[in-house]
Order: sequence, then structure tokens, then C-alpha cells
Amino acid sequence: MINPATLPLLVWLSPSFPVGAFAFSHGLEWAVEAGDIHDADSATLWLRDLLQHGSGYSDCCTVAIAWQAASKHDLAQLRDLAELTCALQPSSERWLEATMQGQAFMLAAMSAWSRPTLLTLKPALADGVTYPVALGLVAASHDIPIEQTVSAFALSFISNLVSALIRLGPLGQSDGQRVIAALLPLIESISCETTNATLADLGTCAFRSDIASMRHETQYTRLFRS
Amino acid sequence: MLDVISPSDPLTLKSQLPAYIRARGVIAARLQDSGRGTRVFDLSEAGGYRLKFPHAEQCEAMIVNTGGGMAGGDHLALSLSLGPQAVAVCSTQSAEKIYRAERDHAEISVTLTLEDAAELAWLPQETILFDGSLLNRQLTVEMAATATFMACETVVFGRSAMGETVHNADLRDRWDIRRNGKLIFAERLRMAGNVQALLDRRSLGAGARAIATMLYVAPDAEARLDETRALLKPDDSSPVEWGASAWNGLLCIRGVCPDPSALRRQTALFLNRFRPYLLPRVWQC
Repeated sequence: MINPATLPLLVWLSPSFPVGAFAFSHGLEWAVEAGDIHDADSATLWLRDLLQHGSGYSDCCTVAIAWQAASKHDLAQLRDLAELTCALQPSSERWLEATMQGQAFMLAAMSAWSRPTLLTLKPALADGVTYPVALGLVAASHDIPIEQTVSAFALSFISNLVSALIRLGPLGQSDGQRVIAALLPLIESISCETTNATLADLGTCAFRSDIASMRHETQYTRLFRS
Repeated sequence: MLDVISPSDPLTLKSQLPAYIRARGVIAARLQDSGRGTRVFDLSEAGGYRLKFPHAEQCEAMIVNTGGGMAGGDHLALSLSLGPQAVAVCSTQSAEKIYRAERDHAEISVTLTLEDAAELAWLPQETILFDGSLLNRQLTVEMAATATFMACETVVFGRSAMGETVHNADLRDRWDIRRNGKLIFAERLRMAGNVQALLDRRSLGAGARAIATMLYVAPDAEARLDETRALLKPDDSSPVEWGASAWNGLLCIRGVCPDPSALRRQTALFLNRFRPYLLPRVWQC
């Protein structure tokens, strides 16, 4: 049975939570256009690499670091992390994706899921916040365990991108489910690995994923904002 | 201990030397506008590194590594500070070779400071990672909002002329660019293990053997995006896959390519057209 303390995660990370996740493809729209992603196998490999070496890995670390900083009421570290993760975005559209969702998540959390600790921590985010920082901070202020926060985040990262790929065409509905099921063991191991992350662990090398988000800016027809 | 070292392999010999004789390179220089061009003030050099100024037409600072490359445990700390209105181009006399290392990382730390209206083009030649190399690199830039900063860093994986493939390496590259004290751009590159197998993956490099990152931070950075894209002409016939984007007063360009010499040629072509500076002669090919 699911620990009742973690139930809010199911709400915050559901597609209906008002962060606008449906509007962003994280560069996948270009990867589909370029033929890099064309079926379930190529989608699985691309998403696997994001989890191991790209934004998925880095964002899981970020959720964990934000959670740890928030649970220690370390406003200075939260401020540094928010600033660093904004600066780490590799393109205009990825910056928009990370900061718009971060801001929207904080807004929704403050209006419906507020906690006294949330109010004291929020000033650390005055100069902008990315989505994984916002999630880690809010989860910590609700005393949701860090392990579940990171693994639920990793799962939602993948399922959002799979949902984008279904709308873009290369995956059917059941293909999409097969991709998520195939990646579940990796989601678990990456979550486990990143739970004790520190700033020194942040790092990526998914160069063509970053380039895809740049090339998406000039793509002729676009469903997504990134 | 010495009997296990093959005298025919000088690189192995070098990497196993004790830490106290590893290179500790230091370059620190202050560049200022003298009224008749930018001149160097307060130059200090140590540990086999020199800073030469071969040009008269522009202030061109050329880094020379008299040791010819970096082995595990070698350090280089370079700091350049540009006073108000100082204009300079900085490059390296040769590609920086990072040799195979047994245990310790080669460490490169670069700190650049740009005061009001200073202009710096940071254009080192490519860094070549040998199979088995370990590199920890850090670029820190503090700039005024009125300053102009251009950077280009290229990493080549393996000695392509020898057909070398990098099966094992560790690369960490960290950039922190601050404008008026605020962190506006950062990079945390982290690659370890079988680097070529990673670069072969589609979302990483799709078979790339060289990568380039360029960053232009200036008051006109965002306004130059269309021009940049036109200069790079990303099309299917080019072996280099380029991407460019601009936001928050900066312009970032990335390229990956299976052919390091094609990447170098296209990078030089782009840099030549993008900036009013003379591209250092070492870049001409």
C-alpha cells in the first residue's frame, strides 16, 4: 500500500496539475523531425540516455539537493541551487520550460498546498526557480520522504515525455506504456543513485538533446513550446 | 618501482612521476587600455607556461605550454583581468594534449575578469583527450554588464590522425559565467568511462568525435542570433551538427561532429566572420 504521506506527490506530478507540462517536449519534437526518434526502441534509448547522462539525471539530483536544503532550512543553498539550475539550461526554450513550470508549480503550491515552512523558504526563489527545485522544496516542506519524491519525479519526467511522443506520432498508446515499463528499473536505480546527490554530482553530456532543443526553435511546424 | 616502467613509453613514465615534480603552471596577467591600444601590465608566469604577445595590430595573448601537454596531476591556473575598455584576444599556441593518466586528473582552472566595456575573445585551440586521460577543467568569468565576452572551447576525443578511440577517460568541464555578479550561464559537463561508446549514442553524439561550445555574452548578443544561424548554415550536407540559441543577453552555440578537422574548419570560419577581431594565426588552416 502507498504510504499516505506520499499521496500529494500523485497530485502534484499528475498531468492535470497546473504547471503546463503538456506544452513542452524537451526537444523531442525536433528529435522526431530529424528521425532520431521513430519508434518504441529509439524512444526508449533516447529517454534512457536522458536518465543516465542528460537532464533526467541532473534534474533528479536537483530534486534531491533541493529537498535536503529545504529540510535543513538552508536558504542560501536553495538560492544558489535555483540560480545555478536556471543558468544550466542549454537553450532559450529549455530555460522557458524549466522556469515557467517552476514558477507555476510554486504558485499552485502556495495557493493550495501552503505550509508555514514553505512561506519561510520561498524568498530563496525570488530571482527565479526551476521545476525540480520547486518540487524538492515543496515536498520537503510537506515531510514527504526524499526517496519517494525523487523516484516519483523521475517517473513523471519519463511519462511526460512519452505523452509528448504519443502526440507527436512515433508512439501509439500501447507503445508508450511499453516504453515506460521498460524504463521503470532504470528509473528506480537512478532515483536510488541520486537521492544522496550533492552539487558536485550535477552534470550532463547529452549534447544532441541540447542541440535538438536549439534546432526546435526554427522548426517549421510545431505542436510544442520546447 | 622504476623497473615496471617501460622506458619506451615516455607518457607512462611521465604520468608515474611523483606529485612533487608534476607541473604547477601559473599565468596571471592584467591587460589595460593604454590610450594607444591594450597593453599587458603585471604579468607573472611559472611552471613551464608563458604568455606571449606576438601581434602589433591587436592585443593577442598567446598561451605557450613549454611542457607540450598535460599529464595526470599537472595543474594550470590562468587568470586574466581586463581593465575598462581593454580589448584582447587570447588563444593557445598549440592544441592542449591531455595524456593518459594513472590516477590523478590534469587540472585546468581559468579565471577571466572583464571590467566596464572590456572585450575579450577566449579562443584556445582544441583540447585533445588521449585514451585514458583524466581532466578536470574550470572556467570562471566575472564580467561587467557593458563588457563583451566570446568563448570557444573544442574537445577532441582521441588522436584522430593515429586512429585512436577513447575507450576510457574522465572529463569534467565546469563553466560559471557571472554578469554583474549574477550567474547567467553555467555548464557541468560530466563524462566518464567508455567515452566513445557514450558519444555513439543518439542523444549524446551520434558518433561524434569532437564537440564545440561557443558562448557570446554582450549587449547585442540576442540581436545576433539570426546572423549566427545564417553563418552556421545548419544543413544536411555539413558533417557538423550545429545548434544556436539566445536568451537572457547571451548567445550559445553548440556543435558535434564525427570529424574533428571539419569541426575545426567550420569553427574557424564562423569565428572569422562573427567577430571584428583578427582570428589568431594559429587558427588559420
